[in-house]
Amino acid sequence: MLVYGLINSTVLALMALGFNLTFGISGVANFAYGAIYVVAGFLTWTFINQLSIPYALSAILTIVLIGIFGALIYRFIIKRIRGLVISEVIATFGISIIILEFLRYVGFIGFKYSLPVFVDGSVEILGAFVDIQRLFIVGFVILLIAVLYLFTHYTKVGLAFRGIAQEEHTSLSLGINPDRIAGWSMGMGCALGAFAAIVILPLGTITVDSGYDVLISALSVCIVGGLGSTFGVILASFIIGYAQTITATYVSAHWTMIVSLIAILIILAIKPSGLLGHQKELEERV
Amino acid sequence: MKRVFLVFVSIALTVLFVLPSAAQQYISLGVPTSLKLIEGYEGHRAAQLAVEEINAKGGVKVGQEKRLLKIEALDIRDGEPGVPTSEALLGIEKLILDKKIFASVVGNFRSEALLAAMDIYSKYKTINVGTIAMTPKFQEKLLSNKEKYKYSFRNCLDSRYLAGYIQNTMKFINKDFGYNKVYIATQDVLWASATGQMMEKWFKDNGWTVIGFDKFPVGATDFSAGLLKARAAGVQVILPIFDMPTSGILVKQWKSMKVPALMAGFISPLMGSKAWKTFGEDIDGVMNVVFEIGYFPIKAYPPTVKLSEAYQKRWKEDIQSGHGAAPAYDAVYVLANAIEKAGTLDPDKVVEAIQATDMVGAIGRIKFDQSHQTIFGTDPKQAAVGCTFQWQKGKMAVVWPESIASDKVQKPSWMK
Repeated sequence: MLVYGLINSTVLALMALGFNLTFGISGVANFAYGAIYVVAGFLTWTFINQLSIPYALSAILTIVLIGIFGALIYRFIIKRIRGLVISEVIATFGISIIILEFLRYVGFIGFKYSLPVFVDGSVEILGAFVDIQRLFIVGFVILLIAVLYLFTHYTKVGLAFRGIAQEEHTSLSLGINPDRIAGWSMGMGCALGAFAAIVILPLGTITVDSGYDVLISALSVCIVGGLGSTFGVILASFIIGYAQTITATYVSAHWTMIVSLIAILIILAIKPSGLLGHQKELEERV
Repeated sequence: MKRVFLVFVSIALTVLFVLPSAAQQYISLGVPTSLKLIEGYEGHRAAQLAVEEINAKGGVKVGQEKRLLKIEALDIRDGEPGVPTSEALLGIEKLILDKKIFASVVGNFRSEALLAAMDIYSKYKTINVGTIAMTPKFQEKLLSNKEKYKYSFRNCLDSRYLAGYIQNTMKFINKDFGYNKVYIATQDVLWASATGQMMEKWFKDNGWTVIGFDKFPVGATDFSAGLLKARAAGVQVILPIFDMPTSGILVKQWKSMKVPALMAGFISPLMGSKAWKTFGEDIDGVMNVVFEIGYFPIKAYPPTVKLSEAYQKRWKEDIQSGHGAAPAYDAVYVLANAIEKAGTLDPDKVVEAIQATDMVGAIGRIKFDQSHQTIFGTDPKQAAVGCTFQWQKGKMAVVWPESIASDKVQKPSWMK
C-alpha cells in the first residue's frame, strides 16, 4: 500500500503539473489540457508506428510540437479573451471538444494504440512487485520538480514567469511582456502535458475518452492543492493518491473516484483557495 | 434557345424519373449505431462486406427480379456517454423516413435505447436484426406483445448466455485444475457489475470461495490494491469483466506482480489479434470469453476462417471486437435469405421467413427462438456459439468448448 500509494500520488502530480503551471502563470484554466494529453499520445504513436521514428526522438518531437501548438492556441485564440474567465473556459473547452472529436473522426478508435514501456519487467519493493515503468514515473516527477524549480529561479524566462504570476502590472514596468510570457506558459504547460502522456500512457492504452479523465484528475488535484501552487499540487497529489489507495485496500475500489470529489468539497468549504493557494478574494469570502 | 430549353427539360426529366427508378433497384439496409465505437465501426464494415458479397453474385432475388443491397449508415452515438436515448431514436427514424431503409442491422448499444427503438421498428414495420445490446429485457418486451414487436430480432448473445459461458469456463477450470478460490474484478458499470454479481452467486452456490469482489471505476489505472489482497488470500482464479481501455493495465499488473492465479473472464481490449502487438507478452496466459465466434479464424469451424479472410482482404485489417461484427455479417445474410424465401419485400412475410431461419453462419448455426433471440450453444453445427480462448505466445488458442477447442489451458510461467 505504501509503495503503490506513492506511485499513484506521483502519477496524479505528473498529470496536474502542466495544467497548474499554465494557470499559475497566466491565470488561464486550460480545459483543453486533457485533449492535449491524448493528442500527445497519438502523435507519439504515429511517429513510432507510421513513420518509424525512434521512440526517444518521437517523444522529444512530440513534446516540442505540442509545446508550439499550445503557444499557438494562446497566440491566436486565448490572447484575445485573456482575463475574461468564462470566455477562457468556453474557448479552451471548445478546443478540447474539437480536438477529441477530430481524433475520433480520423479513426483513432479501438484498443490498438499503446506506447511501449521504457524498460520491461518488475522489481520487488517492500514485498510488492512493481513494474519498472511506474518507478520511472516516480523518478521523472522528482526530476521534473527539480528542473521546474531551477527554471523558475535561475533563468530569465523563469523569473519572468514568477514576475507575472506575482504581480502582472508591476512586471510590465520591468519590461516583461505579460502576453508573451503567458504564451510561453501555455506552451510549457502543454509540453508538460505531453511529457506526462509519454511517461504514463505506456501503462495502458491511448483512447480519446481518456482526455476527459485526465482533465478531471488534473482539476481535482489543482483545486485541492491550490490553483497555481506547485507545492500545493504535490501535497494534494499525495493526499488524494494515498487516500485512494487506502480506500481501495480497506474499503473498496468502487469508492476511489469519490475520494477526490470529497476532497474538493471539503477544501471548497474550508479553504476555497486550496491547501497552499493564495487567492485572497476567495479567502475573504469564507 | 429552343434547343437549350429542350436540353434542360431532358435533364430535368432524367433527374425526376430515371434516377429515382435507378435508386429503387436497391434494397437499403440501415446501420444505425455508434460508428465511432469499435463494435459499431466493425459491425458496419462487416455488414458492408456481406452486402458487397451478395451484390457480387447479382444481389437478392425478390420474386422474379434481382435487387442489389445498399448500406445506409448513421452514427447515432447511443453508446457514448451523455448522448440521450431520444437522439438515438431520432437517428433511427431519420434512416427509416429519409433513406427508406427496408431493414436495419447492428443497431443500438444501450439496452434502454434498444427497448425504445423496438416501438419505432414496430410503428414503421421496419425489420431490425440487432447485434450489440444484450439485455434479456428484449425478449421480455417482445413476448409481451409479439404481434406488435415481431419486427425486432437479435443475432448476438444476451447477458444470460454470456453468464452461462463464463460459468462453463469456470467449471472447466475447476475440473482440470481443481481451483476453487476466485477474485472477481469488474468495471463499475451496470452490465459488468450485474454479471459479476450473478457470477458471485453462482460461485457460492457451486462450492467456490469468493475471496474478493471489487468494482473499479471507469478510467481506473491502478488495480494493485485488489491484486495484493487477492494474492494474500491465496487466489487461484481471477475473473475480470471489463470493456474499458485501461483494463489492459490489470493484466500488466497481474503479470508484473506475479499473482499466482489464472486470469479468465472478459477483457475487451484483449479480444483482437492486435492486442498482442499492443500489450506484448504481458497478456500471455490470459483467457478471454468470446461473445460470438466468427471474428478470428477457428480451424475446427471453417466459416470463421472464411469471414476472417474476407474481412482482412476487404478492409486490410482483422476484426478486433469479440462482439457484434460477426453477427452483423450474418445478419445481412439472414435478411437476404429471408427476402428470397418470402419472394417479396412485404415486411410481415419477411418476418415469417426470418423466424424460420436455419442457416450456417460465421457465428454457428443460426436459428431464432420464440422471442426472436438467436439460440446459443456449445457446438457451431447445432447453434451459434461463443468460446474461450487463451493467449499462448501470440496465438489466440481456443480452449473451450470442446467442439472447436484446439489447445489445452496453460498456466502462466510464474505459476509453474
